[in-house]
Amino acid sequence: MFKWKKLGRVFNPLEVENVNWINEFAQAPSVLIFDDFVRVFFSCRPTADENGQYVSYAAYVDLNRNNLFEILNVSKEPVLKLGENGTFDEFGTYPLSVIRNGEDVLGYYGGWTRCESVPFNVAIGFATSNNDGETFNKIGKGPILSYSPEEPFILSGPKIRIFNNRWYLWYIAGRRWIVADGKPEPVYKIRIASSSDGINWTKMNKDIIEDKLGEDEAQASPDVLFYNGKYHMFFCYRQAFDYRKNKDRSYRIGYAFSYDMNSWIRDNSKVGIDVSKEGWDSEMVAYPHVFELDGNIYMLYLGNQVGRFGFGLAELEGNLG
Amino acid sequence: MKWIKKGKIFDPAKHQSSNEYFEFAQSPQALVFNDFVRIYFSSRKKSENGKYLSHIRFIDIDKDFKEIINISKDTVIELGKLGCFDEHGIFPMNVLRYKNKVLAYTGGWNRRVSVPIDTSIGLAISYNDGLTFKKNGDGPILTSSLHEPFLVGDPFVNIFQNTFHMWYIYGIKWKNFNIGDTLERIYKIGHATSQDGVIWQKEGRQIISDKFTDESQALPTVIFFNNRYHMFFCYRQSSDFRKNRDRSYRIGYAFSDHIVDWVRDDSKVGIDVTEGSWDSDMLCYPHAFHCDNKIYLLYNGNEFGKCGFGLAQLEDTE
Repeated sequence: MFKWKKLGRVFNPLEVENVNWINEFAQAPSVLIFDDFVRVFFSCRPTADENGQYVSYAAYVDLNRNNLFEILNVSKEPVLKLGENGTFDEFGTYPLSVIRNGEDVLGYYGGWTRCESVPFNVAIGFATSNNDGETFNKIGKGPILSYSPEEPFILSGPKIRIFNNRWYLWYIAGRRWIVADGKPEPVYKIRIASSSDGINWTKMNKDIIEDKLGEDEAQASPDVLFYNGKYHMFFCYRQAFDYRKNKDRSYRIGYAFSYDMNSWIRDNSKVGIDVSKEGWDSEMVAYPHVFELDGNIYMLYLGNQVGRFGFGLAELEGNLG
Repeated sequence: MKWIKKGKIFDPAKHQSSNEYFEFAQSPQALVFNDFVRIYFSSRKKSENGKYLSHIRFIDIDKDFKEIINISKDTVIELGKLGCFDEHGIFPMNVLRYKNKVLAYTGGWNRRVSVPIDTSIGLAISYNDGLTFKKNGDGPILTSSLHEPFLVGDPFVNIFQNTFHMWYIYGIKWKNFNIGDTLERIYKIGHATSQDGVIWQKEGRQIISDKFTDESQALPTVIFFNNRYHMFFCYRQSSDFRKNRDRSYRIGYAFSDHIVDWVRDDSKVGIDVTEGSWDSDMLCYPHAFHCDNKIYLLYNGNEFGKCGFGLAQLEDTE
């Protein structure tokens, strides 16, 4: 079993003052590493509108590379604009996953729209930055990865990686909407696509992580590191409904590994991180992002209410076997 | 070209059974049999919140297009499940015989909040000569992409030169024309190809030139004769087009010799509105097909097909 040492909460959006578009939530952190600091992208929300509906913006905080608990800077404006009328990302950009490509930084993000019969739909968008991720420009108004016969809705949670000169996108795809207490809740599964250029994608078209909680398990945030000859995936999973406030049905972090990216073996017993007895991550741990920095492996993750109160950091003791 | 109008051949108001009231018969599409022609169309029923749901039905009509032999009684194709692209309607459904099957390419509709709807294109297959269709998945086969951000719909598919070709429309903008707060869609005709009819490659460009600013182009249909590919489609202004006959749908025409580049020439279309008739204000949703060495055009008239569809026959192909 891995052993993750929790280092504490890094960022709490409720402590950001006088920025109306960062009111609460700091979801789905992912990093871009610089010489002196670590830029952590996340998605935040202004106050909900009169109907209780949120939009979601992508933002970042810069952390001192030598002390990840020291915040050097917070983004002055959303790094991505919301889409125009009727587009897939009109109501949110969440989450955002970034990768360097020469001088540019490329961003893959979940774009949110609102629907009538279900609350929302999501497709995956693409944008590029030529200023180290301070702002991103979209190259088109539509998504770069969208719906298909076996992935009918909710393509979200992109995580971009390059291994052996091939681009990989892990993401989730909706399987069905379940109506619980009159409210539709989505079930989604972890999927994978690959590409030679980061723009034209081929879907593998299968669920790559077997269910642990039955067919209605929802899986999210698949994040992969290559280490010691294996691809290690950390992700999160939950029951299909009644997961927001019921601790026993809410998000936990799972683990799977693969030698070839094609077949994955799920082994949650190895994950080595769980909810705390008390505090900001006592009810759930969710949306892991794993990265290597200065010889250590870290995990950023969300706590209670799926990141409403920010994200925290854990450090791996030992290595990924 | 000259089309001889044969009149309205189907009026939904005259063919209601007791418990199955529906309105509209939109986007008629033909599947030709030995003794009759099956014509699919989209009908509308009101759902609980007063909005319409479009369902596919068909009639079987004799080859003189005078006697309706049969009207579909069962569900031809189910609407989509909760949250799916075709949950709130299928309109149109284009059919194509292929290897003992009938393929159906559907325009699936789902309702949005900031704009009324979005659409994507689905595929369904019939193993019983088109009586019923089963979808090949819950999701679409062609949908929004980087430069075609929404409203991918109105598929027309045929096999030419051993390749599946699809002409379809895609939205480019939801525009506020400052008539209330309403946003109106603007869409254009695109093209995609496929080797199997399932996996498609978009060509990624508008293939029919615009006739005027903010033109919306819809429902392309392509037919080959006289060594040339002929496309019929409909076009309109993108605002004030519902009741203003000068801004509403007309049928346009383009041709191509190699299926790649198209020359638009609406002056050759050979069909227009008829004063005082069921198609006096609007012509839309054309579907061209061969039947017994003749060439026909199905189309809708006033009010987008609320009162049924008509037929025209091509007189002169020179």
